[in-house]
Amino acid sequence: MRHRQGELKNVRLPPVTGYSIFGEALALGLASGPACMASCGPVVVPSLLAEQEGMRLNTRYLSSFLGARFVGYLLFAAVAWGLGALVSFPPALRLPVAGVVHLLLGCVLLWYAYTVGRACALSCAAPELVTIGVAKKRGVPGAAVLGFLTGFSICPPFVAAGLRAAQLGSIAAALYFFAVFFVGTSVWFLPFLSLGCVRRNEGVTTVARMAMVLIAVYYLYLGLAMLIGRKVYGY
Amino acid sequence: MTVRAKFGYTAAGMTVCVALLVPFVLMGAFTKGIAGLGLHVDEMYSGGPKVRTIQAAGYTIDIHRPVYPHLLQLEKPFVQLDWKPVSALPSHVSDVVDVDGDGQPDIRVSFDVPKDAKAALRVNVEALNPRYEAMQNVGKEKFSRLIVRGDDAILVRIPLARR
Amino acid sequence: MSVLLTLPIAVWSFLMFAHFWEPNRAGQIAIVMTAVFMIAMFYMMMRTRTTYRWRRWFFVAMGLLFPVGFIHTVIAMRGTMGIPIEEMIAGRTPFCFLPIPLLILPAALTKTVVFPGSILPGTGMAGAGMAAMAGMWLAMTIVVGKGWCSYLCFFGGIEEGMASVAKRAKLKKIDTRWRYGPWAVLLAMVLLSLALFDSVYCMWLCPFKAVSEYVAARNTLGMVQNGIFIMLFASLVIVLPFLTKKRTQCAFFCPFGAFQSIFNKTSVFDVKIDKTRCSPCVLCKTACPTMSLTDESIAQGETLMSCMKCGACVDVCPKDAAVWHIKGTDVASNPERARLLLLYGAWGMAIMFGGTIIAGGLATILHVFIK
Repeated sequence: MRHRQGELKNVRLPPVTGYSIFGEALALGLASGPACMASCGPVVVPSLLAEQEGMRLNTRYLSSFLGARFVGYLLFAAVAWGLGALVSFPPALRLPVAGVVHLLLGCVLLWYAYTVGRACALSCAAPELVTIGVAKKRGVPGAAVLGFLTGFSICPPFVAAGLRAAQLGSIAAALYFFAVFFVGTSVWFLPFLSLGCVRRNEGVTTVARMAMVLIAVYYLYLGLAMLIGRKVYGY
Repeated sequence: MTVRAKFGYTAAGMTVCVALLVPFVLMGAFTKGIAGLGLHVDEMYSGGPKVRTIQAAGYTIDIHRPVYPHLLQLEKPFVQLDWKPVSALPSHVSDVVDVDGDGQPDIRVSFDVPKDAKAALRVNVEALNPRYEAMQNVGKEKFSRLIVRGDDAILVRIPLARR
Repeated sequence: MSVLLTLPIAVWSFLMFAHFWEPNRAGQIAIVMTAVFMIAMFYMMMRTRTTYRWRRWFFVAMGLLFPVGFIHTVIAMRGTMGIPIEEMIAGRTPFCFLPIPLLILPAALTKTVVFPGSILPGTGMAGAGMAAMAGMWLAMTIVVGKGWCSYLCFFGGIEEGMASVAKRAKLKKIDTRWRYGPWAVLLAMVLLSLALFDSVYCMWLCPFKAVSEYVAARNTLGMVQNGIFIMLFASLVIVLPFLTKKRTQCAFFCPFGAFQSIFNKTSVFDVKIDKTRCSPCVLCKTACPTMSLTDESIAQGETLMSCMKCGACVDVCPKDAAVWHIKGTDVASNPERARLLLLYGAWGMAIMFGGTIIAGGLATILHVFIK
């Protein structure tokens, strides 16, 4: 039985108020947070370790990452709502979207590893976040790019949130639900701040760069496998 | 000798004692401790716990709880069914199975049971309930979609259709 | 004196090998040969007051004979080195220690072991359930710490053997940043294993699948995976150790080695450089198979965290500046006593673990000639 957004037959819904949306979304986000943390870990941990030492800078990194992830989340939710796809994202689109996201993540991680290496060759003392772009002043913080891409993810928590958001009847309510859900998941990212206390030296930066390359290669494989799916893995 | 040095030598001596205890005491104790942690093998491999058994003509069909992949695992959710014992199976099996126990037939599973235990198995699954995916002449493709001969049982894993 | 010092090891050998006594002739001969070999190596360590060369004989023997015994066992049990999927479903995938660091986080967070084996002792392939292997690892790590990589790793002997073939290194300049490779692999594999709930290292990066077992290729992906294993083995375990005279897989890649390095912080034994005697000629730095000595660390009088207590630097030092040391004691206060205490523990473990592996491999070969 396909349910259209905003219309559900034979299902009794609790009365919807702002408070109940907030409570539900927050609870769902908190419950899903560990899964988000685990799936974002390969992206966040090595790129955070590649940044300069210091709680302030690492807080800026995480803020950029989460802020851009938030934008990616809401944008994706709005597009899905527009396509009528919040309840059930078309399988034909699911894999290509996930595949492209993974390929982009892999490319950005590789560029990140390269940029950090160059930055350290010139001067490791610069207290700025690693940027992606031709010139530093016009560059985009790498953290933001990574965050935005991870926001485009059709993971089970996102699907669960989408299912509930689709029942709310309006795009504003749905986006509000997603926003609060996002806050719930983001609480689980706070432990990443502790990486700011890790002393940065050649070893830590090199380990972070090498790990980024390894993870990037794996993401490139994942993306490719998702795009050409059946031929490689029979997916 | 300083106190620190005494501690050092004591610790070093204890290392030798610990080495002596490893095969007789420690290994067994640690093994029991780890076994007692309540860990379980990922259900993607083990197939999930058995929840129901259906009696057929001379054999049984064990139905396992559906297994759902973790976040980024590249597998589909599936349900495992075991036909056992192999010796009691006819040369051709074709069973209609109510997987979820709601009284309605969900799938029809058909496969041949060759006499040679090493012969490859192939299964056809007709989906009577859209919740399950049909399978045509499937062997052992992946963890979520296969037919294999286990320990005196034939295991079939049927993917659940994505919504 | 050397005989007296070897006596406890001889008694221990008798105890251990009597416990594993075989009913068949080939097995009995193999056990006796192994016992004599292990006792002889320890005696030579005592007699010559050196460690590295004799330990290396044992380690290479273990590295070469482990695949012999293991491959024979898997082929006898299932007819192929490739693990068929039904064996994985049945929980009979052999468990080795390499994925232990990758399994910790998923197990701690969800009580799930992301490895297709069996947990309980007496289950799994040949009764070696994961709990037994993990229990053995924990017990032995308490004794030897990172010395695991010199006394207990049944894979490391292959590359140690290859590293000792050539008289001189053909590739001498190695960027020291490659030393961070194992940590990078460990970090990447831990994060990916938690995200994907899979033992990613075993599925993609383990070079030793080439000499033990691997997932039977069912499709193109499986072929690619097996190709990667073979390439990694050929480069990191055969070619590069031959060219560099370093244990390149251990020094630049192995995530388990990086994990074991953590236990160097808790181990009571280490190697120190007595700065009052050091020239510095840096022969120790050249001799170290894992690049665990740098100019800075030598100046500070210590090895890096990656030191696997193989004894190469101690034996090569012409001034006896590189010494075995017990934490808390003065450097060079009694290095021979430190060495002895380390060796009694480590060699005891080596006999119990490596000795049975060597005997098993020998028995497999002898079975061909002796019925």
